[in-house]
Amino acid sequence: MEQLITVEDLHKSYGSKTVLDGVSFTAAPGQIIGLLGPNGCGKTTLIKILTGLIKDHTGTVRINNEEPGAYTKSIVAYLPEKTYLPDWMRPADAIGYFSDFYKDFDKDKAVEMVSRFGLDMKQRVKTMSKGQQEKLRLLLVICRNAELYILDEPLGGVDPAARAKILDLILENHAANSTVLISTHLISDVEAIFDRVLMISEGKLIVNAHVNELRENGKTVEDVFKEVFSYAW
Amino acid sequence: MLGKLLKHEFRQSARSVSLIYACAAAVIAFIFVGMLTKITWIGVVGSIVLYITALVGVMMTLVSVIKNFYDTLYSNQGYLSFTLPVNCASLLGSKVIAAIVWVILSFVLAAVCFLVIAMNAKAVAEGSMAGIWDIIELTGLKEMLPSGATLVKLGILFAVSVLLLVFTFVGFVFFAVTMANTRVLQKHPKLFGFLIFFFTYGVTNAVGTKLTYSVPLSLEITTEDVKLAFVAMDQSSGMLSYGLAGVLFMALVAVGLLLLTGWIMEHKVNIK
Repeated sequence: MEQLITVEDLHKSYGSKTVLDGVSFTAAPGQIIGLLGPNGCGKTTLIKILTGLIKDHTGTVRINNEEPGAYTKSIVAYLPEKTYLPDWMRPADAIGYFSDFYKDFDKDKAVEMVSRFGLDMKQRVKTMSKGQQEKLRLLLVICRNAELYILDEPLGGVDPAARAKILDLILENHAANSTVLISTHLISDVEAIFDRVLMISEGKLIVNAHVNELRENGKTVEDVFKEVFSYAW
Repeated sequence: MLGKLLKHEFRQSARSVSLIYACAAAVIAFIFVGMLTKITWIGVVGSIVLYITALVGVMMTLVSVIKNFYDTLYSNQGYLSFTLPVNCASLLGSKVIAAIVWVILSFVLAAVCFLVIAMNAKAVAEGSMAGIWDIIELTGLKEMLPSGATLVKLGILFAVSVLLLVFTFVGFVFFAVTMANTRVLQKHPKLFGFLIFFFTYGVTNAVGTKLTYSVPLSLEITTEDVKLAFVAMDQSSGMLSYGLAGVLFMALVAVGLLLLTGWIMEHKVNIK
């Protein structure tokens, strides 16, 4: 089967500190994958490599058979953990920006979602609440008809009621047959939507399994997570 | 994609410098009111304010070019810039073009401001200005002024020199900011940015100055003509000589540094 993501023997160090140590996995199109692990385990570094933000690694990384670069960035919709929109931008500016650069960006859908989220097209990012900013960043990502969505902690600063809504939104709006890679700590909120789970510990990929395999022993993904990462609690 | 990058680049950078242009326009209007109404103090105060505006405009533009480069690439906004479906050469190219345009516009603004100040001075002290022209004619200085064709050539030479100077400055600054945001140096990006800029610019400038005087490649400027001469600047027999090797060397180094900057952006930069 043609793989959307291929990672082979990926290594990345920051000075003497090894952050990723021989990580290998593949991901087929049409899956929702959970990328799990405690803080500092290498999740964000792996995501930065997949999105082409970090290049000085060893090993092979391919998305749709291409190394991360201009092409892969055109098919990957990435939601970083950080607030990356400049203060002066308004939703109208951000939508214009995304529709200029991403051919797969659905401008009409974005405009409709701005009003659905109760955002003001002319309100500057710097005057928005944290929640409003997160809504704007999320809608910019899910209004792309991308082949791969990479969401780094999309539920991080959100209250439990909003988490369910965000997950529904992601499920409803990601493009058909696309792959969604979600990095999160909040496993209980998300595990129901995962098809597969990758667990990283100290730079090594220690679990790469379909959720049904994990649940065979009557355990939840969170139970497995707690077992695997008991040292980190 | 370069066109779209430029569009958004100008849009973003215009925000930080537009105020100074609005300010200059207001002061110029103020001076013209003074000239029309012949109220001397308006012209005098306006000229002082315009002089300050011109200097501040150039300084603000230089600062905002550097700040904009850092903010859009190496602060959180880097997550947006570096995940655009464009290569780093286009990304850098758009920033270099926008920076050069803004800096040159700030020079143009300063020139316009000084022209208005001169016009105002002429209006205020018309008699004295005519006297100065009489002195030039009487002392024979008029004969030493360059011809019209020479002035045009000098104008072109000046414009090209300014363009190269700005390009060189931008190349050195962007290289320094980018180097300071590699993993090894990014704990103190401002400190290392300054150190790298002053070191690379200082060393290159010293070598460039040496080459300017010693390499036999210069422009000889006389009242009749401006021509290329294969003599070293200090051995030139012309009325005025302008060594080219240093300027060309600086510009070539800037090209090299920009190519290196593109490579670092592509392979070594780490967004915090």
